[in-house]
Amino acid sequence: MSALRLISNRTSQQALSNSDYTWDYEYYEYGPVSFEGLKAHKYSIVIGFWVGLAVFVIFMFFVLTLLTKTGAPHQDNTELSEKRFHMNSFVADFGRPLESERVFSHQMAEESQSLFHFCINEVDHMNKEKESQKGPSLESNTHFQEVPKSSGMFEEDLHCLTKFNIPNFVNTEQNSSLGEDDLLISEPPIIL
Amino acid sequence: ENISDFPLNITDCTQVVVPEEVFFTVAAAGILENLLILIAVVRNKNLHLPMYFFICSLAISDMLGSLYKTLENIFIILCKMGYLTRHGDFEKKLDDAMDSMFILSLLGSIFSLLAIAADRYITIFYALRYHNIMTLRRALVILAIIWAFCAGSSIAIALFSYEAATVIPFTILFPLMMCFILCLYVHMFLLARSHAKKIASLPSSTVHHRTNMKGAITLTIFLGVFLCCWAPFVLHILLARFCPHNPYCACYMSIFHVNGTLIMCNAIINPMIFAFRSPELRSTFKKMFYCSR
Repeated sequence: MSALRLISNRTSQQALSNSDYTWDYEYYEYGPVSFEGLKAHKYSIVIGFWVGLAVFVIFMFFVLTLLTKTGAPHQDNTELSEKRFHMNSFVADFGRPLESERVFSHQMAEESQSLFHFCINEVDHMNKEKESQKGPSLESNTHFQEVPKSSGMFEEDLHCLTKFNIPNFVNTEQNSSLGEDDLLISEPPIIL
Repeated sequence: ENISDFPLNITDCTQVVVPEEVFFTVAAAGILENLLILIAVVRNKNLHLPMYFFICSLAISDMLGSLYKTLENIFIILCKMGYLTRHGDFEKKLDDAMDSMFILSLLGSIFSLLAIAADRYITIFYALRYHNIMTLRRALVILAIIWAFCAGSSIAIALFSYEAATVIPFTILFPLMMCFILCLYVHMFLLARSHAKKIASLPSSTVHHRTNMKGAITLTIFLGVFLCCWAPFVLHILLARFCPHNPYCACYMSIFHVNGTLIMCNAIINPMIFAFRSPELRSTFKKMFYCSR
């Protein structure tokens, strides 16, 4: 890349005119470099850099794996473990599981209903606790949003939602990152 | 100034050359893939959401990077064939413009990734107010500001590339952004984990949990790919500025074309890990391809 040629050109040869500028692959402007008397291998920076990068990425992976450990595995029947797997991947993944889309939708419908009941309980509980403080801010959020009719994946959930007056931002079929919020509604909303 | 010829050692580090066919194939694949994403988002009204606009911004910056490499290759081939002169003001200005396009692509990638991470963060932590915080108009304004800043910085960096004052902030920006994005995602992770624990502890819930590797793998891929594709180039810039005559640095700089190819590979991989994970986008692609038959 020629920008880098310019970097070395101008640092070492300020007096040169434009006519010496050329556009080429070769980096002869760096000047002849003497390779005599090298203590380490000549590609040591390359090797060291890539090894360091690989170690860092693997270290990051292990740290993240430790963070996602949620407890001892339980042995249940295979159907429940199938549901479990889809639920886990839905929670911790930032995208939809690729292969389980169709199967997932039916399972999600059942599971999200139970979750919505849970989060509705949470919301009601929170309402009772701090009615005077949280009331106004919650009311401002409890407006309905239109449910797009294009995909029927979460129709049961949406029906459940509309009954319970929770802000319906479930455009989940379009916005995969918002999909996890079905499950994350149960967190007490962080009111600033 | 006279450049005297040193007797070079026979174990000299020669430039590692990537064949032009490989260059062009990788660049063309990157451009096509990202162009498809742009077309899909524009055509499907359901995808007119802030999240997809940020993914489009990433696609545009990837496309610029691949386009830059393609154009540079074409111009050098034209130079070799004699259609363009090697010296001269016009070529120098063209070269400067293309360098600034490349830096624009790098900065655009970094800020787009940051925007995507911030958008997901707001989605999760301010879930009930997401639609009030991140309206479509705000997302477009944010994108406009990001691209204006990137364009200004890239022109400034390309013009003043010989000063240390531009190289150092450029190379500091890169790890800073990476750390910030990592912190955002780790915080989201911790929330997802605590949430999963809460679900498991429900009395009525029969759902139990086991170690979930998929989230850790996803996040490692996100950041690992970006790091592995861009960090070699950033290191190259640092070494070119500070130790061009050191033999170790010169050997690192001899693999420059491999680093450039890595950046183009990033343009191919990014859509796979961001855009193609959305089922709506995938279904739009299927409709586009099946309808055209």
